[in-house]
Amino acid sequence: MSTGPARQASAWAAFTRTRASGFALIVLCLLLWEVSTRLGWVVSDNFPPFSQVLVAGAGGLASGELLQVLGSSLYRMLAGYVIACVAGVAFGLVLGMSRLLDTLVRPLIEVLRTLPSPAIVPPLILFLGVDDALKICIIGLAAFFPVFVNTFGGVRSVDETMRLTARTLGLSASQTLRKIMLPAVLPSALAGMRISLSLSLVITVVAEMISGASGVGYFLNLMQYALRADLMYAAIIGVSAAGYLLNRLFLAAERRVLHWHPSARGDAP
Amino acid sequence: MRKFSFARRSFVGALAVSAALLAPVPDAAAQTRLRVNYIPIFDVTSLFVAIDRGFFAEEGLTIEPTPSGSGAAGIPGLMSGGYDIMFGNVISTFLAQQQGFDLRIIAPGVKLVPAEPEGSGLIARKADGIKTGRDLEGKTVAVNARNGVLWLYARAWVKKTGGNPDKVSFKEVAFPQMLDALRGKQLDAIFTVEPFFTNALNDTSLALVERPYRAVQPQLEAGQYLTTAAFLEKNPEIVARFGRAIIKGVEWFNQNKTSPDAHRIIAGFTRMDPAVVAKQTLRTMPTQVDLAELSKTMGLMKEHGLLKSDVDVKAMVAPSIVK
Repeated sequence: MSTGPARQASAWAAFTRTRASGFALIVLCLLLWEVSTRLGWVVSDNFPPFSQVLVAGAGGLASGELLQVLGSSLYRMLAGYVIACVAGVAFGLVLGMSRLLDTLVRPLIEVLRTLPSPAIVPPLILFLGVDDALKICIIGLAAFFPVFVNTFGGVRSVDETMRLTARTLGLSASQTLRKIMLPAVLPSALAGMRISLSLSLVITVVAEMISGASGVGYFLNLMQYALRADLMYAAIIGVSAAGYLLNRLFLAAERRVLHWHPSARGDAP
Repeated sequence: MRKFSFARRSFVGALAVSAALLAPVPDAAAQTRLRVNYIPIFDVTSLFVAIDRGFFAEEGLTIEPTPSGSGAAGIPGLMSGGYDIMFGNVISTFLAQQQGFDLRIIAPGVKLVPAEPEGSGLIARKADGIKTGRDLEGKTVAVNARNGVLWLYARAWVKKTGGNPDKVSFKEVAFPQMLDALRGKQLDAIFTVEPFFTNALNDTSLALVERPYRAVQPQLEAGQYLTTAAFLEKNPEIVARFGRAIIKGVEWFNQNKTSPDAHRIIAGFTRMDPAVVAKQTLRTMPTQVDLAELSKTMGLMKEHGLLKSDVDVKAMVAPSIVK
């Protein structure tokens, strides 16, 4: 029978394995933030005490402003994200299945992939104006690549046996696509979409900081200039929370969609 | 067959609806909408005063103030037609003009007033004892944008006080971060503006070195309202009405600078605390554009390598607003 220090050690080990321990770590960091500002370890207009941020956040929520700002960003983000997912899967499938198109189109895609968003904003403004179309395009462009790359990889790694089986069974091209390719490629495509989800949120905020008139990015800039760092941090926390929630929603949806896949059932090879 | 014709009908229907939506709507009465781009700084107070006091409405204009967080979106947005009018700083304006973007200055913006306190300056750590441009050689100075108006006048001041501006290294730091960088010894001096300027002076470990704008060009006009030459040519009446409303806004502001109304208006578009606004140095704003001052700035730009040749300043400014 284990008593004393041994029992304590195993209780601690058990605690660290639960999700609560992760939250405890976050709480500890926030405490550190509060203490460091109250005790004067860090003095800056840009670093208010966490308690002040909470108060500002509560005010912002009560007035509806924080939700409106977040909502505005989320709308743009989702628009760009959906376009990126559709385009990424489409291009991934088509280029994955056709070597000719792949050779033709791939160099262009690789060139576009490395363009940093802040650098392309001024030229894009000339074509797309200064409103949502511009930001949605930037978001879509950034989010396209993980989805495309993963879908493409998924197509290329489809078991040859499945393709041959489809041929043996006399399936047409569209039937092969629908019944064999899409289900086989789905796990990879969804993995790419999950990466793009958080990427979209980041790029949305960045795009709004550079050329926005609304949304979180613009709000962050504005609050810095308005000497309201507390509201700025409240918005940042809001974005974090939104990102976390979206990710969890996506995971739940993914589990549903892939319920038939070995990886979801837990008995993957 | 039935499926196909339904699809076709829906498609035609959608086309018709889109065409109807995109067709130009005849103007209602005399109200014209103008999209005006601005950065939420004190300089654009006249715009918001004019909106708040109804001066634009009197001229039959509805203003859609469209902010940007930084200047990057301004001129491309103006050229693409995303904005009709913008508030721009004089340096960017001349730089754009030299690059072939045909711009016109249509209303006065901000100007230094020698008799009034000036809310910008070079601040350094007291312990370093920096007093002249010579002292800054080999040191790092923060400005919000290289090749911008603060950069230019900091260099001009360094030169004026016996230093070589090429030996001073300028770092781009956004205004809200300048104070932290200075305190953290990542820089040696910062050239900052309100409200950060007053904040910085509250720190007893820091000292004001000089006010470069005042030292170099005491009546500097740092910003104006702009539009494209094409827009001005197509809409001279509208632009004139805009200018008149702005000037009325300026006149109201100059008479009511210290009133709670003025503070409320400024707090509104900057999102600052009205109590903090009340503590700021609010300068009298100009009702005309001073060509002489613009030319002086142009001269400095040439001297420091920003402009290769003269820009026709006189041709850029609408005659009705010239001093």
